[in-house]
Amino acid sequence: MYRCLSDKEIEILELRGCSADTWNTVEVKDTFLPERLRNVRFSGKIRLGKNNGKTDFNGTFFKPSGIFNCDIRNCIVGDNVYLSNIGTLANYTIEEDVFIENVGVLVVSGVSTFGNGHEIEILNEGGGRELPVFDRLSAQLAYLLVIYRHSRKFSDTLKSIIDRYVRTRASEIGTIGKGSKIRDVKTIHNVRIGAFANIRGASLLEEGTVGSNQLAPVFIGEDVSASRFIVLSGSVIKDGAIISSTFVGQGVQIGRQFSAENSAFFANCEAFHSEACSIFAGPYTVTHHRSTLLIAGLFSFYNAGSGTNQSNHMYKLGPVHQGIIERGAKTGSFSYMLWPCRVGAFSVVMDKHAGNFDTTDLPFSYISVENGKSVLTPAMNLFTVGTARDSGKWPARDRRKDTEKLDLIHFDILSPFTAQKILNGIKLLERLHADTPKSREFVLYKGVFINRLMLRTSKRYYELALVVYLTGQLVKRLETAEFKSLPGIKKILQPRFTPVQEKWVDLAGMFAEKKSVEYLMDSVVSGEITSLDILVSRLQAIYEEYEEKSWSWCLAILKEWKDFDLESLSIPLLLEVLEEWKNNSLKLNNMILKDAEKEFDQLSRIGFGNDGDEKEQLDDFENIRGKYESNSFVLGLKQESEKTEALYSRLSGRLKELTGKQDGTFTD
Amino acid sequence: MEKKEIESRIKKVVAHVLKLDEEEITQDANFIFDLGADSMQSMLLIAAFEEEFDIEMDVEKAQEVQTIGGAVDFIAEYL
Repeated sequence: MYRCLSDKEIEILELRGCSADTWNTVEVKDTFLPERLRNVRFSGKIRLGKNNGKTDFNGTFFKPSGIFNCDIRNCIVGDNVYLSNIGTLANYTIEEDVFIENVGVLVVSGVSTFGNGHEIEILNEGGGRELPVFDRLSAQLAYLLVIYRHSRKFSDTLKSIIDRYVRTRASEIGTIGKGSKIRDVKTIHNVRIGAFANIRGASLLEEGTVGSNQLAPVFIGEDVSASRFIVLSGSVIKDGAIISSTFVGQGVQIGRQFSAENSAFFANCEAFHSEACSIFAGPYTVTHHRSTLLIAGLFSFYNAGSGTNQSNHMYKLGPVHQGIIERGAKTGSFSYMLWPCRVGAFSVVMDKHAGNFDTTDLPFSYISVENGKSVLTPAMNLFTVGTARDSGKWPARDRRKDTEKLDLIHFDILSPFTAQKILNGIKLLERLHADTPKSREFVLYKGVFINRLMLRTSKRYYELALVVYLTGQLVKRLETAEFKSLPGIKKILQPRFTPVQEKWVDLAGMFAEKKSVEYLMDSVVSGEITSLDILVSRLQAIYEEYEEKSWSWCLAILKEWKDFDLESLSIPLLLEVLEEWKNNSLKLNNMILKDAEKEFDQLSRIGFGNDGDEKEQLDDFENIRGKYESNSFVLGLKQESEKTEALYSRLSGRLKELTGKQDGTFTD
Repeated sequence: MEKKEIESRIKKVVAHVLKLDEEEITQDANFIFDLGADSMQSMLLIAAFEEEFDIEMDVEKAQEVQTIGGAVDFIAEYL
């Protein structure tokens, strides 16, 4: 409970250089110690908490709580707060245990939404895809807001739901959350700061939200300038980064003079040195190098090589072009693309491409340049060690510590989304092979040239990957299940959803049936979804259906492709499928191992053993890089192959037992 | 098919794919270290051999072939 100051307390305060427009509007808690204040000027309505304790300075040192050399207007100061050398502190609620020292201006002026609702010109620099950022924005909501503009009614209704939420974030009073530390900052204007934030040496924070909390604190470091921004839990922005009109999601790291405008970075992105303009950086977008410019693109699980660059401006109607790099793709050093382009999932782009292309139906490809032409080698990236490493790398690098993880992320490399593209690729390569005379060296497809020789071979690589995925999904279901009869197996394999070949989409990290997304959109338009909470829970439901719906999709494909269906399922057919899974999985692993081996070959040893002979070179190489045989990735993959063999033996043994016992007739 | 003929046709394919003179290609030449085949060209060579000899090779095993001579023996098994 607060009370007015006593005459004695006012006398002590005035003796210590404190003053107020009127002491009548200054209220304090019972355990208020006026001796803990010096040179403080109060104006407006002030409430001061207990100040008889200590405030954590940096986790090791504590300073006695109190207020020193500050001009404070209209503020509530919580218990055990330390405020020192603040030029102007106005219109804030400062929660308990906050430490603020050496800040020029810390002010809320007028009604602010603290960056919520600010629209950024994302993906298309020319505009038209504005994204209202807010402190509960997920990659999936952003995808719906930015990408699904074909239905104006949906966009407008969705925006009105967001607007309603944004209005709840507006206030004339800002908050500095419990346990936050703010030191040596020039200006903080209209910024809401969550609990346990650590802000040190920033130049300017303006019109924004720092969504920090105890489990996942936010750190904002030296010389950072941020205006019109949202930064969510667990993120780090430091080392002179400049962000404006930018959204920073959970677990993101930005630093080393990186600059971004009109961009959004979702879970676990990393951005250093380089520049971003109007980009939608889906989860795990990574750019580390100085001369890289990412512009007007949609990315996820993406790694930008140094000097990666794109153009969205052809000096005609302005910067109106945009590009899509589907999940898992990489761009090599000094690669360049002229937007518009669409790069298929898990592909690698090398060299400078001066034409537009679309390779969405040819995932896992290499796209390079030969004699000035963009050349695509289909399926080449299926067998590279890099792709295989990625599958384990991303989940292990999830930095989000918050209890609520806003972005819904599926990590699988092979999924209905990629498998449907592989299927499209198989059909496409088959058609191109049939239609291309042997006299032709290359065939042109949507802006890329494909060597005719690769049409047939690459199709086989795609088929191998598809078999591994489809049969693997079946094995996964049998792996842990107890089955004693064929009907029992059928029960285990029974899908929850009717097997249909629906189209799948990747909503910036989350796989979903397009039909489910369309149903969600209809629910928004019809008014069935009226709030952000309902929308978020519906997206969560789609996310959770992934495994079951994937299996239904696989069954539909298996039926069409291999005439596999549960009705006519037999033990011999299961054994056949199991063997196909084992053989193809081992083949795929062996091809990846072969690629890994190249990392240890004679060419890889160039640059080692600088001043010595061949032996010294080998010794130096092995001491630094190790041996192929003992490399952890290689060992891991070999172990995986052993597990595949063991699982095959176990499952085939059990299936054969069933055949033996029941002579082909099964009862449950 | 005689191994000599296989070798001659292999050299012709390699020369075409890797843009080399046939004379430069010896029987013990290593595809990567002597002839400079990168990963993509290695895949292209497999595809080109398949077309030349009208065979379908086991890619996993084909990847293990290092030299022209090795390719001759490997392809001979399919013919």
